[in-house]
Formats: sequence, C-alpha cells, structure tokens
Amino acid sequence: MILSVSDLSAVRSGRTILHPTSLEIRLGDRIGLVGASGSGKSTFGHALIDNLRAQNIPVAHVPQTPDQALDPLRSMDFHWRETETALGLSHDAERQTRLFQALNIEDGDLRKRPWGWSRGMQQRFVIALALIHSPALLIMDEPTSALDPIVAARTMTLLENYLSTRNTAMLLITHDLGLAAQQVDRLLVMDEGRIVEDAPTQDVLNNPQSQVAQSLCTHRNWLTLPR
Amino acid sequence: MTRRILGLLARAFVVLSGTAFATFTLLWYAPGDPAHAIAMARFDAIVSTDIVDIVRAEAGLDVDFWPAFINWLTPLLQGDFGYSSVTGRAIWPDLLSAISYTAPLALVGLVIGLMLAIPLAIFATRYPESWLDRTAVAIASLGVAIPAYWLGLLLILLFSVKLAWLPAIGARTASHMILPALTLGCGVAAALMRIIRSGILEAKCQPFIPALQRRSISQSRIARSHVALHAAIPVITVFGLELAFLLEGTVIVEVIFGRPGVGRFLVKAIEARDFPKVQAVVVLTALLFVTINLLIDIIYKLIEPRIGDNNA
Amino acid sequence: MLTLNHISASYKKTPVLKDISLTLSAGQTLAVVGESGAGKSTLIAVILGLVKADNGEVSWSNSPVKDCLPSLVMQEPLSAFNPILPLRQSVMEPLKAQNKTITEARLAQLCERLELPLALLDRKPNQVSIGQAQRAGILRALMAEPPLILFDEPLSALDAVSQKKTAQLIADLQQEQGFSALIVTHDLGYAAAFSDYIAVLRKGHIEEITSTTEFIKKPQSDYGHELRAAAFSLGSLGYSNLEAKRENSK
Repeated sequence: MILSVSDLSAVRSGRTILHPTSLEIRLGDRIGLVGASGSGKSTFGHALIDNLRAQNIPVAHVPQTPDQALDPLRSMDFHWRETETALGLSHDAERQTRLFQALNIEDGDLRKRPWGWSRGMQQRFVIALALIHSPALLIMDEPTSALDPIVAARTMTLLENYLSTRNTAMLLITHDLGLAAQQVDRLLVMDEGRIVEDAPTQDVLNNPQSQVAQSLCTHRNWLTLPR
Repeated sequence: MTRRILGLLARAFVVLSGTAFATFTLLWYAPGDPAHAIAMARFDAIVSTDIVDIVRAEAGLDVDFWPAFINWLTPLLQGDFGYSSVTGRAIWPDLLSAISYTAPLALVGLVIGLMLAIPLAIFATRYPESWLDRTAVAIASLGVAIPAYWLGLLLILLFSVKLAWLPAIGARTASHMILPALTLGCGVAAALMRIIRSGILEAKCQPFIPALQRRSISQSRIARSHVALHAAIPVITVFGLELAFLLEGTVIVEVIFGRPGVGRFLVKAIEARDFPKVQAVVVLTALLFVTINLLIDIIYKLIEPRIGDNNA
Repeated sequence: MLTLNHISASYKKTPVLKDISLTLSAGQTLAVVGESGAGKSTLIAVILGLVKADNGEVSWSNSPVKDCLPSLVMQEPLSAFNPILPLRQSVMEPLKAQNKTITEARLAQLCERLELPLALLDRKPNQVSIGQAQRAGILRALMAEPPLILFDEPLSALDAVSQKKTAQLIADLQQEQGFSALIVTHDLGYAAAFSDYIAVLRKGHIEEITSTTEFIKKPQSDYGHELRAAAFSLGSLGYSNLEAKRENSK
C-alpha cells in the first residue's frame, strides 16, 4: 500500500507558508523532513496528518515536547483511555502492556499526572499513545530536541526496534540533518514552504542539489565543519 | 496533603482570631461612649449617668480593654453570641431565623448567576472577538455597572407594578424569592461571565489542545474534559471575592425587597447601635469567609497540586 | 585563570553541586556537559557570585571572580534583553557600568564580525530573528572585552545550521580577543568541536575532566561513554558509524 497526498498547501494571514505539495509514502518507509526553522516543516506535517485522516488512513503525530501533547491536569490513565475511546477502541490491557514494555515505561504510575513522570518518560508515553491504533504513518516533530541526549538516543532506539516489527512508516521532522541521517533512508529538504529535494539519504549527503541542502550538508555535524 | 490541610487550617485560625480582635478593637475605640449609646437606644430617651453606669456594668464594659476582650471572646468561642444590648433577647435564635431567609436567597442567586454566566460565556467564546462575543461582554459589563438597588427597583416596577405577576415585598411564599434572587443572580452572572469567558479563552490556547484534536478526540469531549477544568481554575480563584460581592448584594436586596434576612437584621442592629448583634454578624461572616476560602484552597490543591508547591 | 576549589552549593537546602574543583586557563575553553538537572546552571550562578557556595572558593587569578567583570551569554536571547529598549542600549550596558566608551568604528567592526547590520541595533529584541538576537547577546558580552565569558546553552534556541555558524563565530572571536570561555551545553557535538577540555557533570558531581581530543577517543567515566555513544547515535558527533550500520543491515 502506498499513502499518497496531493496538493497540500497552507496560507496563513495572506502569506503562503506551504506551496502545493504532493507526496507518496510506502509502508515501512523512514523519511526525514529537514530544513531551517520557519521553512514550513511543521505546517507540512500538520497538513499531511489532516489530509491522511480525511482519507481514513490511521496516522499519528508526536509533537516536540510532552507539554504539547498532554493535559497537565489529567492523569496518564485518563489520557490513555480517552485516546482509546476517541479511536473507537475498547480498553485492551494487553496492548497497553506491550506498548509500555516496548517503550520501557512499564514502571510509570498511571494514576499520576504528566509532571509526576520524568520528561523522557512523558515523551515515550506520548509515543505509546500515538502507536495505540497501529498507525500507517507516525509523524515525529523534533522528537529529541527537548530531551537529554542519552534519553533521546534511547527513545529513538526503542521506537526503531518497535517499528521494525511492523509496517508503520515514519516521518521525522527535524532541523538537524545529522539526526535525520542516522534515522532515515529518504530525505525531503524543505525551503520556504517548498520541498526542494526528495532523494535517498546517501544521495543528498553525497551530492546535495539545492543550496539549502548544500548548507545543511556542510553543517550536518560538528566534527566535519569547514575550518 | 494532610500537612497542607493542617497548614491551611492554621492559617484560617489566624485570620479568624485576627478578625475577632479587630472587630472588638474597632467597637471599643469607636468614637462615643458605647454604654451611653446602648442606654439611649434601650430607653429611647435622655438618660442619667447612673443608668449609663448600670448599663456599662451589665454589658461588661466597665473594665479595661483586655479583660473586656476576654469577657467578650470566651462565650463567643463556646458558640454563645450573647444577648442584644437593646432588647435583652438572646441573639442566636433571631440571627438563625434571619439566616434561614438569607441562605436560600444567596444560594438561589448564585445558582441563577452560574446558570446565566456559564452558557453565556460558552456561547461568547465560540467565536471570540465576533460581534456575538462583543455583545455578550458588553451586556456583562453593563450588568456589573448597574447597582443592585436600581435593578431591583426596575424588576419590581416591571413584574410587580406593571405586570402584577410577582409579589415585591415580603418573604411569605416561594414566589417572593423570585425577584430578589433574579436581582442577585444578574449581578453575580455579570461578574462571573467575564471571568469564565477569559478562563475558557485561555484554556483553549493551552499548548496541548491541538494534539488532542490530532488524536481524534472530539471537540465536545475536549471542551468537557480539558477546557472546562482549566477554565475552572481562575473561576475558583476569584470565587472567594465573588462571595463578598454576593453577601454585599444580599444585604442590599433584602432591604429593598423587605425580606427579614441577615441584611435587615444587620441594618436594624446598626441603626439601634446594638453592638452584640453587629459583632455576631461580623464574626459569623468572617467564619463563613474563612470556611469557604479553606474549601476553595482544598479544591484548588486537588485540581492543580503544583500551585504553591515550590518543589514541583 | 579561573579556579574552583572544592565547591559545594545547594538550592533550597538540596545539594546541587558537590565538591567541584576545576581550572580554566586564560584563552582556553572548557565545556561542561551533562543532563538537565545536573547542576550546570547553578555552576554558572556560583561562578558569577549569584549563588553563594556552601563550601570552597571560586577565584579569578587569586581575586574574586566579579573583579574581572565576566560576561554571560544566556540560552534564551529574548529573555536576555530588556524587551522595551532598543538592542543598542542593552548592548552598551556593560560599557556604561564600567564608564568606558567605544568608537562607532569599533562597534561597526564588531557588528560586521557578528554579521549584524548596525541598523539592527536600533530595533527592539522582538523585531529581530532569534539568531540575530543571540548574536547581539554575544556582542554585548564582548563589549567590555572581559577576560572570561560564560555561555549557558548558547546555541539551543538556534537551528542546526545557525548553531554551527554561531559556534564558529564564537571560536573566531575568542581567537581574536583571547578571552577564556566556559560553555555549558547538553550537546556533546558542540563541546567536541569547540573546546579544549570537557567536564562531565552528573547529579552535581564532576565525573571527569578530560582533554577534548582524549574524550572523543576514550572518555574516562562510564557516564562519559554513555554520553559519547548517545551523541554518535543522534548524529551530532558524526555519521561515520552510519555506514557501518548500513553495512551490517545489508
């Protein structure tokens, strides 16, 4: 199965922040969406999720920080059951245990509210929430930038291990080409609301075509900076 | 949690004893001789110094400040409000009877206020800054600006005089309650509506709301389970203040509508210089405030335990 | 030379820094890395004298640190400036405090160095980009030519490309002006590329202080190893092991 969207666009206060964009995603794909801040990456992610949901394709979105995903006044258990109900699923303790184990949050106290958990655990809880209905596509918007590196690396590893056993495709939105290069096989490079490059990761790294991609590649990691 | 509640109780105790002390001090040092005033009120005539001295001794006013304070406080702590200095009747039965008129009125007024304010606020915030919203806010501002005595008279004019639907004066039947409760409710609604409105608007801007939508959670569900809870926080915060507004309104409304409640009880006591009665009302009001604020603090801590907790 | 001698400090009676000793020589760069909550910000506050240490002493060449008038570059450039003043006024503050002046030519030269158009200084903080505001923060730190500048997560508000450009700029300016830099960061990649020594802070303890080249090859502590492995797997140190990963999966 191929997920496909066509002519996604977005205009905000009279300014086009996303020019008409089409995209095809195969199940199990690992795609990175990179670009400078303000290039329209997050807008693209939101438009993509709205469009796919309108097509009745199960999709999920994990925002940058848990604060953007969880109500601080509601318990973890409340969030979990609320999401199950919203997705039309009945409560399944076995599924919950499986996801919690996969993301290593099985020790978390569900009666607590989000801030009773560490940030890393909150973020993994949000990822588990996103995976409840085995979505066809998981969109991760800057999933690691609010976490400590060790926690971030661990989270990405746990997620990759879980996803590797199923068909879920992942779109990783990040300003950090170095991070994307570690995680994805295909890169989309975004600039001023347009996808200016769409190629396998190695091709972009070895032979960037657009000016933005060249700049991202030059500055993709710390130890290879031009001095 | 237990420790926090103990802390809150301690605070309530301090506030209450402070109020008792302040009340007594004010009356003690008020200009004029209280014994003389009491004697005048009681005998309704020019009185001789002998009689004033007898009254002074009777009222326990013939000692120094501290013994007098102790004399005054001891029965109060035992729940004994003492006797009227004018009629000599026990205060508590009369006060209780007044409360039995005031409490239902305040409660019904509050319920009417909430029933008007909440739907109006929800309605207004559906399209923020639209003409609907602006009109609702304008009506609420008008409601705050209109004094209760004016609105009360207006309602009497319309429903009692013009239409002759409802009785205006007295408290014999339940229908006597409608106009005063409406007067009170309108004032409460006007004040609460603006707070609820801004609470809802702020709650709708919480950073996690878009994520809930993306998780397929319905708008009505988000409104009920998340927005309502966040919007309740500022409302609960100002509720203690609103209560003052409500009591103040009740006193005025009771006088306008000729209801034998605490408002009229207090006004008559002040007119008669009946100090023990005034003190009883003041201390009881303080007790009510402290209790309500204590409850608010506890509810607050249940909804949002991080507030006031530096370690969170 | 900055010297911290057996420093302990607490926040609300909870110990945050435990027995910290380190030195930073003139013109050198020390990066302090570690998880959030490890005490990195408290360390800066102690050095600046904003938080009093429970034990131990902090000094700059045998006198109190505040005598050398160090500057601080903060994480959030917007919160570092008075929002109602034009940037120029905020940037000039350190000079005013010391009754010094700067020629317009020198200011223009510094601005050019920082890729900040001079006219930008007449704007308010919220009228410039985050990157520009952060460079204005660096400009302010440089104004009075202090011998010591502290950087508290100076890049974390910026995107990947501006991070690297700004880091390069800080390093170049350091070469020209010769100040010592103490950089607090959670990004080991940044530390690896731009410091002489790396101090690993964890739960208020210094796990190790190692020269950067040594650290990249072989950290001394277990926690240092974990940090290094995480930085590799997040691609901030390099993507050399990526090819290896791909080879394995084929």
